Amino acid sequence: MDFRLSDEQKDIQKAAREFAQGEFDPDVALELDENGKFPESLWKKAAQLGFIGMHYPEEVGGQGLGLLENLLVIEAFCRVDSGIGAALSTVDLGSEAILKFGSQGQKKQFLVPLIKGEKRMGVAFAESEDGNDFSPLSAVSERKGQEYFVRGEKRFVLNASLADSFLTLCKEPKEGWITLMVERAGDGIAVHPIEKMGLKMISFGDLLFKDVRVPVANRIGREGDGMTHALHCRQAMGLRSAAQALGTAEGALDMAMGHAKQREQFGRRLSQFQAIRHKLADMAVGIEVARWLAYKSATEYDQGKIDPLFFSITQLEVGRKLVRGVDEALQIFGGYGYMAEQAIEHYFRDAWAIGVGLGTEEEQKDAIADIVLGPDSIKK
Amino acid sequence: MFYELNDEQKAFRQRVRQIYEREVSPLVEECERNETFPVQLFPILGAEHLLCLRCPKKYGGPGLDKISECITVEELNRICVGIGASIMVQGGLATDPILHFGSEDLKQKYLSPAVRGEKIGSFALTEPNAGSDASGIRTTAVKHGEGYRINGSKTFITNGTICHFATVAAYTDPSKRGKGINLFVVEREDSGFSVIKKLRKLGNHSADTAELAFDDCYVPKERMLGGQEGGGLGQLEETLKSGRLTYGARSTGVGQAAFEAILSYVKKTERHGQPLSKSQAIRFILAEMAMSLEVMRYVTYRGGWLFDQGLATMKDASVVKLFCSETVQSIVQKAMTIQKNAGLMIDNPVQRFLRDGRANKIPEGTSEVQHLVIAGGLGL
Repeated sequence: MDFRLSDEQKDIQKAAREFAQGEFDPDVALELDENGKFPESLWKKAAQLGFIGMHYPEEVGGQGLGLLENLLVIEAFCRVDSGIGAALSTVDLGSEAILKFGSQGQKKQFLVPLIKGEKRMGVAFAESEDGNDFSPLSAVSERKGQEYFVRGEKRFVLNASLADSFLTLCKEPKEGWITLMVERAGDGIAVHPIEKMGLKMISFGDLLFKDVRVPVANRIGREGDGMTHALHCRQAMGLRSAAQALGTAEGALDMAMGHAKQREQFGRRLSQFQAIRHKLADMAVGIEVARWLAYKSATEYDQGKIDPLFFSITQLEVGRKLVRGVDEALQIFGGYGYMAEQAIEHYFRDAWAIGVGLGTEEEQKDAIADIVLGPDSIKK
Repeated sequence: MFYELNDEQKAFRQRVRQIYEREVSPLVEECERNETFPVQLFPILGAEHLLCLRCPKKYGGPGLDKISECITVEELNRICVGIGASIMVQGGLATDPILHFGSEDLKQKYLSPAVRGEKIGSFALTEPNAGSDASGIRTTAVKHGEGYRINGSKTFITNGTICHFATVAAYTDPSKRGKGINLFVVEREDSGFSVIKKLRKLGNHSADTAELAFDDCYVPKERMLGGQEGGGLGQLEETLKSGRLTYGARSTGVGQAAFEAILSYVKKTERHGQPLSKSQAIRFILAEMAMSLEVMRYVTYRGGWLFDQGLATMKDASVVKLFCSETVQSIVQKAMTIQKNAGLMIDNPVQRFLRDGRANKIPEGTSEVQHLVIAGGLGL
């Protein structure tokens, strides 16, 4: 066992941190958040510097690194600003399915523009209200010759208004579950934008596909494997959410410590009050726990042997630490924490949006109990 | 022992609920979206005798008790926390000091129009450098001719931009920490009183919150409460004692709103082909919410009863405020997590309840300050 990051990983972490600290202007962050605008120019810069898709293979322009390195970047970005960090880490949602199951041609076609910062993608899986439940699927893709015709509605799609293509889970009457890269350029995709309470820089909405024509060449992997692709993506997306959560909790702690060290009440700095010190200590503990859970899960993912039990434990615990930590950080700011002028205010809202990506406690506990108790334990 | 509201109080609750649903509910969405308080509501609620509940009939008030006030606050916060903030301040922090410590002239001059909703009041204690630590305020009132010149700045002031008068805390003798404080009634038209800016917040969007400045603001000595220099700290404590008790009702109201919303969501939602209401974990969460609300209500109305008997101590008030504002957090947080993606939507009131309810751990003494007061009350 070696719990240390390699020198290369530390360099990546440092470079990402320096980029974020140098480029993420707090006033710009507040403005983008308020107006619900995507950080376009920062995205281009981040791509130019190789921060997007560093875990893609070198032949498509990536750096051949692992998801862990990608997570280190996301964590560093979100630490400096939860909104910008999350937005920049969401431009290539779903690309993991192409990486693992796509053809060489598809990798070149879809991953290269992501790395270059020319295009964005999203995933269109969910149809039900709670977002992660794919089972009552109604999106249909009927194959006619060399084309699929996709119709149906997808809900709660990130990048709904900005993505150039969507990895879409649907059912073909004969082929079964499939995933298709549905490109926006064609006709037939209507977006119903949804305003949300957090991560306002990331567009969000429902998609309505009306007989969108998709070439057969855009089908990822084999017929019938669509659900496998979706679940694989969900793991990668869950880990990215964990990195966002980790960075956001770290950023909140940084801010709370900064405030506690300079704010005086009752003739003492807040950092001198035991109750405040212990809150900060608790937050530091939470972050440390969350960090090693996330790093271990990512390492397992990169080794191709992710443990579903450990994955669910990671999602559950990182989510808890995130909400708790950000909430306490806001509290340390007192009245100021509640004001939109302070970054902690959007960290709080963003934390709740990031938390959705980690699944609910009940969901994760169900998954954990199924594994720990065994599948037979619930049968009558 | 006090266990239940009597028939008269129950009928009162029914009546105010109907009035708020008729007069306030239709305003909420627009006011929240535009971040404005509906000032037209003041005369409407005045005509219904629902402003300044404890103000005696002599000054045109309803002359009711603390329990009645708690009923109105709970019911109004069930509809809208932001609008509730403004109305609560009108009948509490802004006018209580005048009612209890003002001269007969001041009562006639300010209470009567406040009761009718013709004049809006605010309460200006908190300053940029003095939140939890009220004695740490730096605003001064220096003797000048037949009155005082007030200099200083105040922040997080509810009704700040819309008020006609403000009850302002300032040092008449800065050399006496705490003891040298006095309260003054400052009118909006007084020269030297200005609104620096309206503040944007995490929640309570329909509440008007502002930063105020007093620049050589001259106030005649008749508008100093208590008639002699010093003694303001005790007046503040009495005012905050009542205000902290009210916070129990404020938290109960928003908790009730979140509970009703999530109960109806759970009843109509299916996940994985099963009604959500059949999930034991969800049933337990709702059971705990119902239990918490019962206890919050008991704690709140017991506090109100103690106050009406003249028995409530600062410690009692802090117990009510701390318990209820902390307990409501788990209600609004759980209501959010159950809904996942749907909970994030701006159109979903549950995310508003989370943002609004989050405030309650901060104003009129943070949770940390309530701990300090309770510990002090234990003789520690």
